[in-house]
Amino acid sequence: MMGSDLAAPGAAAHRLILRDAALTYLPASTLGALSSPAGQIPRGVADYFWQEAARRRRLEQALLAVFRSWGYGDVIPPSFEYADTFGRRGSAELQSELCRFLDRDGSMLAMRADMTIAVARLVGTRLHDWSMPQRFCYAGSVFRDVEPRAGQQREFGQAGIELIGSAAPEADAEVLALTAQALQAVGLRDFRIVLGQMQYFDGLLQALQLEPGRQLQLQQAVDRNSEAELAAFLQGAALPRLMHLAVQELPALSGADVETLLDRAAGICLNETMQSAVDNLRAICRVLAAHGVIHMVSLDLTEIHNLGYYTGITFEVLAHGIGYRLASGGRYDNLVGSFGAPQPAVGAAFGLERLLLALDGGKAAVPAPVPVDVLVSGRADAASIELINRARAAGLHVVVDLQQRHGNELWRLAQHQKIGCAVDYGEQAIWLWMAGSDSAGASVGECSPEVLWQQLQRLALAKTARVESDEASL
Amino acid sequence: MNPAASTPNTLLMALPKGRMADQALELMASAGLPLPDGQSGRKLILNSADGAMRYVLSKPTDVPTFVEYGAADLGVCGLDTLRESRRQVYEPLLLPFGHCRLCLAGPADAAGGPLRYESQPRVATKYPNLTEEFFRKRGVNAEIIALNGSVELAPLVGLADLIVDIIETGNTLRANGLVEQRVIMHSQAVLVVNRASYHLKAAAVQNVIYRLRLALQAGAAANQDPASKSKASSGV
Repeated sequence: MMGSDLAAPGAAAHRLILRDAALTYLPASTLGALSSPAGQIPRGVADYFWQEAARRRRLEQALLAVFRSWGYGDVIPPSFEYADTFGRRGSAELQSELCRFLDRDGSMLAMRADMTIAVARLVGTRLHDWSMPQRFCYAGSVFRDVEPRAGQQREFGQAGIELIGSAAPEADAEVLALTAQALQAVGLRDFRIVLGQMQYFDGLLQALQLEPGRQLQLQQAVDRNSEAELAAFLQGAALPRLMHLAVQELPALSGADVETLLDRAAGICLNETMQSAVDNLRAICRVLAAHGVIHMVSLDLTEIHNLGYYTGITFEVLAHGIGYRLASGGRYDNLVGSFGAPQPAVGAAFGLERLLLALDGGKAAVPAPVPVDVLVSGRADAASIELINRARAAGLHVVVDLQQRHGNELWRLAQHQKIGCAVDYGEQAIWLWMAGSDSAGASVGECSPEVLWQQLQRLALAKTARVESDEASL
Repeated sequence: MNPAASTPNTLLMALPKGRMADQALELMASAGLPLPDGQSGRKLILNSADGAMRYVLSKPTDVPTFVEYGAADLGVCGLDTLRESRRQVYEPLLLPFGHCRLCLAGPADAAGGPLRYESQPRVATKYPNLTEEFFRKRGVNAEIIALNGSVELAPLVGLADLIVDIIETGNTLRANGLVEQRVIMHSQAVLVVNRASYHLKAAAVQNVIYRLRLALQAGAAANQDPASKSKASSGV
């Protein structure tokens, strides 16, 4: 782990603070300099604020709403757990990417690096005697100590689903169909779900019985989709005819014509494992057709991406303009069993930052604060506060000017902060200012409390209508 | 949608400025694929006449970056550049140009024993990742000095003991009193494809790969040139 320590000075400094109580004797200024150099944040984490933060929350909520409508219940796993929980179950890659730190008793902890493992632990250790299947959905931060790169930071947001306790192809199809529906619900158009099956390639490797070096060569050639490397492998391995054919055909087993590809894949099976992988995909695709989402699915039997625990289907969601996957998932039948009674399971996770970028067409939106609806200034008496609270209850976001500005000064503030409505709740009179539209300028007028309430109600109604139409496109 | 990014109906290809771009375009022409429309001077994005392909010329080391992020669907770059970049892309076809080798070289008088006898050699290179990997595999804690050009200069002025650099003919090395000690990898041009584009624009991408493959086969059959035979990378 030395390598990752060196690569992440921010994280290393953090660990130092946690471990070394002696530091508290240093002058406060020194400590400050160590823990947060000049108020910076470590690499690979970000502040989200203004509209970006609001949109992230809306996206989370919109995804969770769809998940809940399919009967998935919320789960909030802890933000950190014993490092072993993640380390032993994930791939070597995931293991090396854990953000670790020490507990007081010296045990090694890690920030949540994977939601699926945490949910599997929950079901395996505590909910194993509850009736199956169990459905869970979540949204939250996940932490991996990686070099920040294409669409990958050290802290990133994930929303997702886990369906535990069913091995039926209908379960895989449910997760895939729900994935498609959730993406459509948040306004993503024109995406593809690329579907693979771990067992197919695993079966091939079983049949080939390669020595480790050769196996790595084949995996690399397949992962890079490199014709030349595959040719070099075939030349070096000198396989029997049928095996040679099976490997040679492999790159062609990728595309949108699912039926034909499955027929081809079935034609070159070398053993039962490969055959059952094809049968499994056939069964899943039949259900996907019934769900009406089969046209969004491509097949890729060369996809061997693995978090270390996938045992059946794997999939990733791709969209135009974003070069990396927006969501991914798969079947993990051995993970729950590593914590307790075995349970077959399948799930999906959505990358929130990547999804927001895709919804913006690959280009980040211009940062801007989220304006409130009404700015109120004036005497803080029971009548005005009662009115403000009624407006809030009606759905308006109302902010009170704590500097008690009046007249033009208040209107200017509203205009500057792009607030559509300002109320000067004076001792003698109530003045209402409404921002102009494109066609008309701003208007100011004196009004009674009754008229003001009518105006606020109109605003609230207009806002509700706007929010409803906005929800279709995030 | 960002107007500069690739769009659903066109393919955007990133080419490395210089000779490799010319050779790539030559190959595209022989494959009957649409080429940039005329010489457009300072324009950074070149369109083909029918609008089916768009081209960007970038610094060679940036091609894998453009393609990994999906800013370009396809690209042509050297295997050396690609491995150094550690970018995750598909690399379906090797192309028969840009042949060279990445070598470890040092002063002629110092050449000799196994590398593992060296304790902490200082190595100047434009390929810090591949160099580090090469030495780490041999258990040698090399001090990597990343340079952007004129790497051969480093041993002459005492900046480094050894260099790792691309060698085509070896003339530059000899002229500076350096000798090749090890080949780290053989390199040649490679077609790279963004992983998402490979699936989202499958028909268009497959068409490019198919036509290029045909052109390569035709070219290989025509001149039986040993240099145009695909050579797989080694060592990495």
